[in-house]
Parts: sequence; structure tokens; C-alpha cells
Amino acid sequence: MPRWLDPRAWWRRIRRGWRSSLALRMISMTLLLSTIAAVGVGIAIDLSVRQSLLDARRTQLVTLSQNATISGQRYFEVSAGQADPDLEAVLNEGLRAVANAAATTSGGTTYALLPAPGQNVPGDFANVVSPSLQFVLDEVVSESIRAAVASDEDGRIYSQSTGIPRTDGALAPAIVTGSTVEIRGVRYELYLVYDISDTQQTLSTIQLALAGAGLVLIVLIGIVAFLVVRLVVGPVEVAAATSRRLAAGDLDVRLPVRGDDVLATLARSFNGMAESLRGQITRLAELSSVQQRFVSDVSHELRTPLTTIRLAGDVLRDRTDRFDPETARTVELLHTQILRFEGLLADLLEMSRFDAGAVEMEYDRVNVARLAEDTVAGMTMLAEQRGSELVVIAEGGHFEAEIDARRIRRVLTNLIGNAIDHGEGRPIEVWVDSDQYAAAIAVRDFGVGIAPGDLDRVFARFWRADPSRQRTTGGSGLGLAISLEDAALHGGWLEAWSAPGQGSCFRLTVPRRRGIRLTESPLPLPPESPVGSDGSDALSRSGERG
Amino acid sequence: MVNARILVVDDDPALAEMIGIVLRAEDYDVAFCADGSKALDAFHVERPDLILLDVMLPGLDGVEVCSRIRGESGVPIIMLTAKTDTIDVVAGLEAGADDYMAKPFNTKELVARIRTRLRPVIRPSSDLVRIGDLELDVIGHEVRRGAERINLTPLEFELLLALALKPEQVFTREMLLEQVWGYQYKADTRLVNVHVQRLRAKIEEDPDNPTLVTTVRGVGYRAGS
Repeated sequence: MPRWLDPRAWWRRIRRGWRSSLALRMISMTLLLSTIAAVGVGIAIDLSVRQSLLDARRTQLVTLSQNATISGQRYFEVSAGQADPDLEAVLNEGLRAVANAAATTSGGTTYALLPAPGQNVPGDFANVVSPSLQFVLDEVVSESIRAAVASDEDGRIYSQSTGIPRTDGALAPAIVTGSTVEIRGVRYELYLVYDISDTQQTLSTIQLALAGAGLVLIVLIGIVAFLVVRLVVGPVEVAAATSRRLAAGDLDVRLPVRGDDVLATLARSFNGMAESLRGQITRLAELSSVQQRFVSDVSHELRTPLTTIRLAGDVLRDRTDRFDPETARTVELLHTQILRFEGLLADLLEMSRFDAGAVEMEYDRVNVARLAEDTVAGMTMLAEQRGSELVVIAEGGHFEAEIDARRIRRVLTNLIGNAIDHGEGRPIEVWVDSDQYAAAIAVRDFGVGIAPGDLDRVFARFWRADPSRQRTTGGSGLGLAISLEDAALHGGWLEAWSAPGQGSCFRLTVPRRRGIRLTESPLPLPPESPVGSDGSDALSRSGERG
Repeated sequence: MVNARILVVDDDPALAEMIGIVLRAEDYDVAFCADGSKALDAFHVERPDLILLDVMLPGLDGVEVCSRIRGESGVPIIMLTAKTDTIDVVAGLEAGADDYMAKPFNTKELVARIRTRLRPVIRPSSDLVRIGDLELDVIGHEVRRGAERINLTPLEFELLLALALKPEQVFTREMLLEQVWGYQYKADTRLVNVHVQRLRAKIEEDPDNPTLVTTVRGVGYRAGS
């Protein structure tokens, strides 16, 4: 089955349209309700018209029957006085006169003359009935009207709606009237049956007109609803689109304000909201930029006195041999703390640059494996002082990548420094791998690891794994935060993995070309040491490679 | 031998004095100036062999002072800057500073930078080196095109000489940093870029289409094409 024929697809499409389009819902609801109203009113009008038409017709026919009965009675009285024994001829003659007097409708009038129950009927009397009524008399003249006529005392005319069976089986609407006449002292019941198909015709015409009018009305209502909805929903849709743009950060968008109606009020409130939003954001941005400037200025202002202190420290340190041991040690402490202070200040400044968005990338095509090896070579001394062996594991691949070498080197230096600090003197692996799209460097240590709850906090500024830990690289507490920013500037990732007792692993992944969106890293995290393998296993493997 | 004279232009008295202490310990003569607007006068009076110039100065800022001094002399100028952002550094280099030092620096760096600028590292074997239609007089530190003499600062001369001595070799920026600026590790390639531009502006017939100092894309520079 082709897709466009699939009923489920259609159902989905309709549901989606229904849910997404306010206009469709409003127009549909309007049409539905107005259809219900129109049908209701139509039925009410039809019923009341039918009632009044039939009532009028019945009143008219009853009057007619009355006259016919009176003239028939007279005829019978006159003819009864004559000594003509042929009763049947008399009756038929009289009834034809009656029927003629009562003949008003196109459908024609038929009659029936029946003896009233309990009357002594002359022996040769038979029921006198119009030929067309001959076989359907009991259907047309019901028991109830016969009973009413039979019990009549004061010569009233009784009437009832009925139907005459046609040859095609349908019933032609009719009214039957019943009265009593006396012929030669015997009571007879006289029934006159009027076919009122013409009245029905009139009714049908009216119904048709009503239905037509109703249909036109509904179509008109539909059009009106469409226009009204356009008038109301149009601005609402504009407002929705404008809100979206505002939410997307376009703070200058405004709604057009027309007139003084509720939509104009909406537009004005919206614009007021947008204005206050922009004010707030501008204020916050200013505040933030003031703060960033402050940090930047402070860092810069500190640099000049720090230079003086640094130079003074250097001069003192060059003359340590002239000092007594305690003073010499003091100078040494002073010196290391100046270095630490310098590092902190540099990191702080770097951070304020990130915050201000004032960083410039210097992209270059660099062999990532060689960069890793160079960085590791520069840190081997430090690692050996702490008893850790540094191992570079670079398996084949596309190692050239378009990166800012200074930043990647800084990230790597920081990661290795952390690994040395927390590596417990065990070997440290630096994995490098790459694929077509990305290059990755992972630094793996086998130290105590990071507590699971702390893993997502390691990148926070000034967060420290354990304040009591001994540190050699003199980190500022901003190292990982800066590394994370550096990775992000490349459109890359910096991720951490750790298992208590098994050490931790930090993996840097950067795209090999600017603009590539990372989807996966060439290295698993941790590399070749799946979660759950114990530390000794990982250790021995690194030993083989080393 | 007469001690080299260094003019320290810095408005921070403590830092200036400290630099003075360090430099005197290295047997340099030191003069001071704390105001940018008086720096030019001090330069005229002291006739220094090298100038340490702070970027942020009262009166006249360091970049402006630098370009004014460069207008009349090729004396080595090392800028001292608290800001290492590209714009500040490049502005100083484009104004003609030979080198810059970011605060905070230490005594070793300071002395090493000054030494490199005062005693160039390259020692050619011949006294006359040719590059294209230029003649480099190594002894007289002069560059001539035919009879026309081209004024280069000592640093620009060193840069050109380094390239001209090995015309077959492509120099990476790092190599030039090491040979001309005396940097072993730190590699701010902007130094090279800016000074190559300045050099081309002086020696090339059409600086936008260089023929004497050409760029080798992705690697560095070389003499000739």
C-alpha cells in the first residue's frame, strides 16, 4: 500500500495538524457547534410548521365533514320518506353526494358507511365503502376512532391522522373523520378519509428550504470563523515567532502595536517584558564585564610589584652563600612562594581572558604524538623525583591536527602534573591516538583515584581533591578549569574517569580540523583498561609496553 | 672597554630601582626616566646603548615613545609589558621595538635579553654578504643597494644577515627566534612576523610581493625565491 493511502499515516497527520494548528481547531469547533445549532433550530421549525399546518388542515377538514354529514343526513331523510325500497342505491347515491361535498383535496376523498354496533340492520344491508378503501378499511380507520364514534351521543365529528397504503407499500398521509347518521331509524357510522399528500408536499418543500438555508448558514459561519481566526490567531502566531526570536537571544525584537484592543495590550505587555529583559541582561552583562575588567586589572596591576619582588628575590637568592642558614632558607621559601604566586596570577589572568571571551587561537598543523613526546620529555625529571615513570603509548594513526599548540601543550602539562601529584609514584601512561576526524591524548595514572562524588567537580575552579595532599607542581587550583576551556576553544572534549584504588584518567579529544564536530574519541576512556579490571592488571600491561 | 649604558623608562620607582640594582651588578651603566614625555630628552642626553621601555607610562605611552625614538635611531629597544595580549605586543613591535618582556620576568631573562641585543650572536666569515641586489657590510653594519644606503636597525640587520648567510636554507620562525633573538625555548612567533614585515618595508621594491625575503608557506622564511 502506498504511504499516502495508509490510514494510520493519515490519522497521524490529522492528529498532528489538529494539535499544532489553533486555527484548525477553532474553525472545526465553530463549524461543529453551529451545525448542531442549525440542525436543532431546523428540527424545531419543521416540527412547529408541520404541527400548525396539520392543525389548520384538520380543522378545515372537520368543518368540511360536518357540513358533508349534515347534507348527507338531509339527503337520507328526504330519500327515506319516499317509498323506494332500494336501500343500497339510496345509500350509494347519498354517499357520493357526501363525498362530493367533502372533495377538496387533490388526493381525493373516500368514504365508508358502517352500521353502528348493536343496531338492527335491515337484512339486505352491506357495508358501503369506496372502492379504493375496500380492502384496507381496518388499517385506515382505526379501532380507537371507531370506539369514539360508537360512543358518541351528541353528533360530534371525530378526527384522526392516518395513512392510506399505496400500491408501492408507502403510506399516504391522510385524515379520517368519523360521525353518525340515521337512516330509517338505524344508526350508521360515516367515515370520510382525506388524502392530504399535498400538505405533505408543502411540508417537504419547507424542509428542503430549511436544509438549504441551514447549509448556506453553516458555510457562511465557516467563512466568518476563518476570518475571525485569521484576525486573532495571526497576531498570536506573530507573537509566538517573536518570542522564539527573543528566546534565541535577539533582544531587540518587538511586536507591532496596532489599535487599542486586547491584542494591542498583549503586544504592549510583550514589548514591556522584552524591554525589561533586555535591561536586565544588559545590566548583568555590564556587571559581569565590570567584574571581569576588575579581575583583569587587578592581575595586571599586581604584575609590576610582583616583578620587583621577583627581581629582589632573585638577587637575594644569588647571594644565599653570604647568608646564615636560616636566612638562606627564608630566601629559598620566599623564592618558591614568589614562583607560586606568579603561576597563580598567570592562571587567574588566563581565566579572566576566558571569561571575557578575549582569547585568540593560533592554529597550526601539529603532530600531536610529537607534541606529547616533547611535553613528556620536559616533565620526566619531575616525574622521576616522585618515582613515577612516564610512558608514551602512541599507536599509528593520523597524528597531524590543526590545533593551538601552546594551549594543547598547556593542557597536557597540567594533566601530567596532576598525574604526578596523585600517581603515588606508580607509572603514568600518556596515550595518543587519532582517527580521521579527531586526535586524542589520555593521561592515565594508577594512584588512589578520585572519589565518585567528586568526579564531576574536578573541573570546578579552585577545587582540590584533598586539601591535605602534598603537591609538587604547585597548581593554582585553576589548572583543570583552564584545560577545560582550552579544550572547548578547540571544539574538543576533556573528560575524566576514575575508579577508587585504580587511579584516574583524563582524556582530551580535539577535532583534527577546525569545524569538525566530534562524535567519538579515538581512545576509549580509560584506554585499554576497562572499568572493573584491577589495578595490578593494568600496571603489568603498562610495564610490558614501557 | 666602556660599560654599556642602559636607559630604563619606567614610572614605577621600585621596579626601576630594582632593575637598576640588577643591571649594575652586571656592570652596566644605568640611567632612569619616569615620564614618557621626557623619555626622548633622556635619550638625547644619555645616548644609551639599549632602552628598557615600559608600555604604560604617564605623559606619553611607551608605544608612542618607541616609534619616536625609532624615527631617529636604531638603538635596541626592549618593551616591558604587563599585558601579553596580541594587540599590545604587536603594537609595540610594530612601533619598532626589537623585543618585549612580559611582567613578571626574572633577572636571568632580563640579563639574557639585554645581552643578546647588545652582542649579536651571528659571526659571519666574510665581511661582505650579498642577497639579491643588496650588499651587506658586516663590519660597518650597513646595507646598500648600489650607491643607495638603506637604514636598518641592528636587529633588522641581524635578521637579514641570518637569512642571507644561508640562502639555500628555509628558516622556521623558531630557528630565527633562536639565532636572532637568542630564545632557546619560549617561542612567540609574532616577533618574527612583525620584524619580517618591517624589514620588507625597507628593503623590498614591492613589500606586498617580496623577492628578497620570501615566505615558505607553513614553514617559515628564506632569502630569495
